[in-house]
Amino acid sequence: MVWEIVHVPDKVPGLEESTVNVLASNVEPKLANTIMRQLSLVAPLENLRHVKRIRRKPTTGKSELSIVLCPSFGNENELGSIPDDVQKLINDYHLSPFTAKVYKYAATSKEEWEEQCKLWPTSYHPMVNVNCVTGFSEEDSQWIISCMKTTLKLAKLNHFGDQGLNAALIVDPACRQLIASAVDQTPVTLESFFHENGGDEAENFGRLFQVYTSDESAEALSSVSCLQPWSWPQQCPQDLSWHPLKHAPVVAIESSAARDRQLFPLHDLNPSISFPSKRQRTEIPQVLTRPYLCTGFDIYLAWEPCAMCAMALVHQRVRRIFFAFPNPNAGALGSVHRLQGERSLNHHYSVFRVSAS
Amino acid sequence: MTREFTSSDCGFMELALNQAKLAMSNLEVPVGCVIVEDGKIIASGSNRTNETRNATRHAEMEAIDFLLEQWQKNELSHLDIAERFSRCVLYVTCEPCIMCAAALSSLGIREVVYGCANDKFGGCGSILSMHESTEHLTRSRQGKGFVSHGGLMALEAVDLFRGFYEQGNPNAPKPHRPCRISQETV
Repeated sequence: MVWEIVHVPDKVPGLEESTVNVLASNVEPKLANTIMRQLSLVAPLENLRHVKRIRRKPTTGKSELSIVLCPSFGNENELGSIPDDVQKLINDYHLSPFTAKVYKYAATSKEEWEEQCKLWPTSYHPMVNVNCVTGFSEEDSQWIISCMKTTLKLAKLNHFGDQGLNAALIVDPACRQLIASAVDQTPVTLESFFHENGGDEAENFGRLFQVYTSDESAEALSSVSCLQPWSWPQQCPQDLSWHPLKHAPVVAIESSAARDRQLFPLHDLNPSISFPSKRQRTEIPQVLTRPYLCTGFDIYLAWEPCAMCAMALVHQRVRRIFFAFPNPNAGALGSVHRLQGERSLNHHYSVFRVSAS
Repeated sequence: MTREFTSSDCGFMELALNQAKLAMSNLEVPVGCVIVEDGKIIASGSNRTNETRNATRHAEMEAIDFLLEQWQKNELSHLDIAERFSRCVLYVTCEPCIMCAAALSSLGIREVVYGCANDKFGGCGSILSMHESTEHLTRSRQGKGFVSHGGLMALEAVDLFRGFYEQGNPNAPKPHRPCRISQETV
């Protein structure tokens, strides 16, 4: 099973900003290899490493091969200046250059990659296990994935996709400590935080992602508050304290605030309070500094939050949001709204989608 | 959106402003609200974000939670509760933020009357329009939206913010930015 951590961008760039012109030419299939080898010497694609040099376009009967010669330095309708070495190749092999568009940056998701390939093929590498666009080290990636696994277990999902609750985990990534955990309606306590590695879980997680990322499942999941913020009047409450706005992220924020009040009863933000060391062996007493709200903390969610919850996480100053399943009904981190891209807000978190396949 | 405000609108907003002043006297960002059902005030709320260290405890949330608790004590069903909210008008000194506007839409409140606009976080038109109906979307069970009117006694509301930020927010993280005269953290 492959886990992926993908950044959910603040803005969806338009086609114009996200593409760049290159000079390309059709080539005889027999010559393709020779020309490619020479091009990689005289005109390597330094800033477009994700772009495939050769495009194979199936046409009637046989496929047509095109090759990227070099970046285009001219305007839309002119070829512009061509480096001498490339011009020599054009002359030697009687090529007829044309201008083509390619994507400027490597795709960050499979969907984006499929879209990119419509223009000109690119390569795509899922980001786990390599320290690339998202910038996570191998160790950080593993930690993030284990937090997400815990969150998904908390959400009580099953392989039929007809049950489940949203789940939220607030953690302090600096000291890898759990701050708060909750599901829709109620805070929960975790006994076995990050000690879970079942033998056959690999398959199970992959299956969950198959089930819960389809649009149909989002329609059917009436028990997940963030998916159906308007449908609470039709729901049967389990108990009297049931609350229409207690979505998992809101409950987790409330728990983290309660922890803050309990750990730091004084209202003073600056002075740190020292606690007697619990472990006798360590000589250095533990010193806790009171954080301002959830500054520096991350939150893990099974589902992309609705607008209420996404804005609550802005107010509480959460640093990063990791979610597993998109929320096509009411998601506010890319599906319906994109709060991380609203520049007027006074705080901005980074958003990542974690998935398994 | 503006409309002709009646004298009873002004009276309700006056009481919301009193709630904002109450927040201010507790060293909170001065926002207050009242919820009115069939011409009668049934709940009030003032901002308690500093006291609770929960930045989501806005005046609106305080008033909503008071009502839910009352109604649940009286063993109202979900459908009853939804029906009661659909008769309610919220008067709040500042435009509800995106979070509160989304919550109000989810509860199905009938109308919101606010004082000053919230040009950083406003969810009733300033930044996002959470008050608009989402029924045009093909998905099932979407919100009806609510009517929203701004500008009632806006100057009074802004004056409170100005007073608050001049005195400085003692609960802002330190070292905090220099005090500015603006509408923030609502």
